[in-house]
Amino acid sequence: MRIGRREILAGAAAMAVPGGPALAQSRAETLRQVTGNTVNTLDPTMPGSTREAFGISVNVYDRLVGFGRKQMGAGWVFDPDVIRGELAERVETSADGTTFTFHLKRDAKFHDGTPVTAEDVKWSFDRHVTARSLAAVQIQTGSWTKAEQFRVVDAHTFEAKVERPDRLALPNLCTLYCMIINSKVAKSHATSDDPWAQAWLKDNAAGSGAYRIESFKPGEQVILRRNDDWKGGPLPFFRRIINQTIPEAATRANLIERGDADLSIDLQASDVPSLAQRPRVKVVSTPQFNAFTMVAFNTRMAPFDNVKLRQAVAAALPYQDIFKAALFERGAALFGGDWSETPPTARFPQPMPMKTNLERAKALMAEAGYPNGLDTTFSFNVGSAATSEPMAALVKEALARIGIRVEIQKLPDAQISTLVTEKKLPFLTETSIAWLPSTDYFFRNFFTGEQRWNYSSWNNAEIADLTAKARFERDPAEYEKLCKRMIAVLAEEVPLILLWQPNQDAVMTQAIDGYTYQYHRQVDYRDLRRV
Amino acid sequence: MRGVAGRAGRRFVSSLPALFGVLVFTFLLMRVLPGDPAIFFASGPNAGQAEIEDIRRRMGLDKPVPEQLLLYLRDVATGNLGRSMTTGQPVLNDLRNRLPASLELTFCALLIALVLAVPLGILAALRPGSAVDHGVRLICTLGVCVPTFVSGLLLIYVLYYLLGIAPDPTGRIDIFAAQPPEVTGFLLVDAALAGEWEAWWAAASQLVLPACTMALFVLAPLARMTRASMLAVLTSDFIRTGEALGLSRRRVILVYALRNALLPVITIMGIVFSTMLGANVLVEKVFSWPGVASYALDALLSSDYAPVQGFVLLMASIFVLVNLVVDLLYGIADPRVSIG
Repeated sequence: MRIGRREILAGAAAMAVPGGPALAQSRAETLRQVTGNTVNTLDPTMPGSTREAFGISVNVYDRLVGFGRKQMGAGWVFDPDVIRGELAERVETSADGTTFTFHLKRDAKFHDGTPVTAEDVKWSFDRHVTARSLAAVQIQTGSWTKAEQFRVVDAHTFEAKVERPDRLALPNLCTLYCMIINSKVAKSHATSDDPWAQAWLKDNAAGSGAYRIESFKPGEQVILRRNDDWKGGPLPFFRRIINQTIPEAATRANLIERGDADLSIDLQASDVPSLAQRPRVKVVSTPQFNAFTMVAFNTRMAPFDNVKLRQAVAAALPYQDIFKAALFERGAALFGGDWSETPPTARFPQPMPMKTNLERAKALMAEAGYPNGLDTTFSFNVGSAATSEPMAALVKEALARIGIRVEIQKLPDAQISTLVTEKKLPFLTETSIAWLPSTDYFFRNFFTGEQRWNYSSWNNAEIADLTAKARFERDPAEYEKLCKRMIAVLAEEVPLILLWQPNQDAVMTQAIDGYTYQYHRQVDYRDLRRV
Repeated sequence: MRGVAGRAGRRFVSSLPALFGVLVFTFLLMRVLPGDPAIFFASGPNAGQAEIEDIRRRMGLDKPVPEQLLLYLRDVATGNLGRSMTTGQPVLNDLRNRLPASLELTFCALLIALVLAVPLGILAALRPGSAVDHGVRLICTLGVCVPTFVSGLLLIYVLYYLLGIAPDPTGRIDIFAAQPPEVTGFLLVDAALAGEWEAWWAAASQLVLPACTMALFVLAPLARMTRASMLAVLTSDFIRTGEALGLSRRRVILVYALRNALLPVITIMGIVFSTMLGANVLVEKVFSWPGVASYALDALLSSDYAPVQGFVLLMASIFVLVNLVVDLLYGIADPRVSIG
C-alpha cells in the first residue's frame, strides 16, 4: 500500500482528536438495552432462568432451525408458520411426517473456531431430553422424549424421528431450548456428577451464535460482541450489545429520552403514551398474540365448580371498563366476540362471546343456587399490580351488584405461584404466554392436566379427547374443526374468562429499526439496526 | 497496643453467640415465610410435580428443617453460604463482588454527611435560637422527611435529565468507560492505584449523586447530635475556664469543646453507618447501584433463601465490627474511656 500525503494528513487529523471519531463510531455500532430484570444464567435450560437470560441465549447460540418473521400492523412479529434454517441449510420431512433430516451448513463454526458437526447436534439433543432441565419439559410437547430419537447420519447430516406425526415436532426444535452446544468444549467441563456440564454452562457459553459473550455480570450487565464468522444468517448490524439492568423504570425512560440508551421493552405501560409524544423516542407496540390475560376460576373447588355461577360472573364483568382502566386499551381485546355456537376461526386466543349483561347474570345467580350471593377472594400477584389492581377494584364493584362479595388479595410472586400450583385459590387473574401459538398447544397446556399452567384446574373429558386428536391431525380441515370445537366448549363452560392480549411496548430511540416481537418476548439483536 | 488487640479479640468472641442467634433466627424466619422457592423457580409450560421436586432436592429443601439447619451451619462453618437461584452464582461470590460497591457508596455518603453535619451542628450550637439554628433545623428536617427515592429521583431529574450535568445514573462507572483492573473492588482506590485518572473521574462522578442522596438522609441525626452535645459541653466549667484564660475562641471551640462533644457523635455515626449499609436499598435501586442491599431484596421477593441468609449474616458481622471500631475511636477521642 502506498501512503500518500493526504492519508498522512487525514491520519494526523484523526489522531488530533483522541478517540473522537473512533469512539463515536463504536457508539453508533453499539446497542444499549436497559431492562428492569436480570440475566441470571447463560444456559437458558437451567431451572429458574429469567426471561432476559432467554433473550441472551437466542443471540449467543444457534438452533438447527428458527421461526421467520412477518409484518403485522406497523411492526414485525415472528411467524410460527415459516421455518427457516439456522445451522441447518435445509430440512427434509418424510412423507409420513415422522422423520426430519437436517443438512448442516458445512462452513458453520463454533466461537472457538471448530466446525459444527452432527456429533455436536446429537450431543446437544441428548442433553435436552436427558438432563434435568427446562428443555425436557418443553420439547416433550413435540414428542421429543428420548435420546434414541436422534441419529448422526454423517458429519453434516442429522436425523430426528418421532413415533407419530406431531404437529409441534418441528416448531419445538425452533425454540431457544434446542440450542446447539459445542460438545467438545462442554464435555471437557463435564464431571461424573454433572455429565451435561450444567454447572459450567451456567457461567460460560459454548455456542456458534451471532454474538459471543464479552462479559457477564449476573444482576448487572451482559456485554456481547458480534461473531463476524457467523453463518446462521446475514451478519447483524450492531457490533456490540450492552444489556444492562436498571431496576427503576423512570430511570430507564430518562435514559432513552436523552438518547443514552437505545431500547427498553419493560417500561411502565402508563408512561408509554407520553413517551411516544417525545421527538427522539419511538414506540413499537405489538399485541402479544401468543399471550393472554385472564380471570380464572378454580373449577374443582366450591363455589366455582358450578358452571352457572361461572357464567353469571362472566355476564357481570364490565369488560370495556376494565380494559380501559387497567390497560388503557393498550392491547387486543379478547371479549365481545360476535358468535355463539361456532367460532369464526380456529385461531386461539380470539375474542370470546362475552358481554356484560346484568339481568342475565342475576338470573344465572338464582339458577346456580346462590340467590343470596356468596363471599370469595380475588387474587393477583404484586408484580402485575399496575394492571391487576384497577382490574380487581372493578371486578369487586361489578360482582357486588349480583351479590358476590369479593375480598381482594395481593400476593408476592413466590407466594401466588405456590398457591396456584397447589390449586388453593378460588378466583384469580394472571397473564400467561405460549411459545408455540397453535390452538391445540394452548388447550393442552392451559386447559388439561395437573400443571400450574392449568390455572382453572379444568378437567373436561371432551377437551382432553380433542387435544389428543388434534396434536397428530395432519389434515388442515379436520384440525380446524377440532380446534373450533375446543373453543366452543371453552366459551360454554367458562373455566376462565379471557380478557385481552396486552401490548408489548418496545420503546427505542428514533434511529433503531427492525424491532421484531419474538415468541420469547425478548429482543433478538440480530433483527435490529441503526438508520 | 496489646491491650487494644486483646480487647478486640474478647469483643469478637463475646459477639459469637449473637451471630449464631442471628444465623438460626434468619434461617427459621425464611422457612416460615409463605411462598415455596421450588415452585417459584420451576417455570416452563409443563413444570409438574417432578420438576418442582427436583428443584426442591437441589436446594436441599426436601429434608426436614432441623437437618437443613445442621447442614446449613456446617456449610457456613466451612465458608459456603450456598448458591443464589436468582443470579445463579455462589452467594459468597455475589456478596464479595457487591459489598465493595455498597461500602464505597456508604463511606462516601458518610464522609459527605460528616463534612456537612459537624460544622452545621457547631454553628447551630454556637447561636441557639438564632436564624442559623433554625436554618440548620430546616435542612435537617427536609433531609429526614424526604424519602431517599424521592430525593434521588429528583436529583436525577434535575441534574441528569433537565440540565445534563450529571452522568447517566446507572451503576458505578460509565458503561462505555474502561474499568480499572480490580484490586480492592473499590473503584476509586483501584483507579488511583492503576493511575487511570479518567476512570477515577468517571467513577467519582457516578458516585456523587447517590452519595449525596444518602448523605441528605443521615444529615439530621449527625447534625442534631453534634448540636446537642456541643450545647452541653459549651456550658461546662472547663470551657468557661478556657475563655477566662483568654484562649482564642477558635481554640476553645474546635479543640476543647468539639473533642469532648464528639463521643456521642461517634456512637451515632456507628449506628448511622450500619443502617445506611443495609437500608440504602432504595438508593441502590434508584441508581442501579450493584450493591448488597438490592441483591438481598431481589432474593427476598423470590423467596431465595441462601442470599437473604448470607446478607443478614454479613450485616450482623459488619455491625459487630463497626461497634468494635467505634469503641476504639472512643479511646482516641477521650483517653479516659476504655470499654472492655
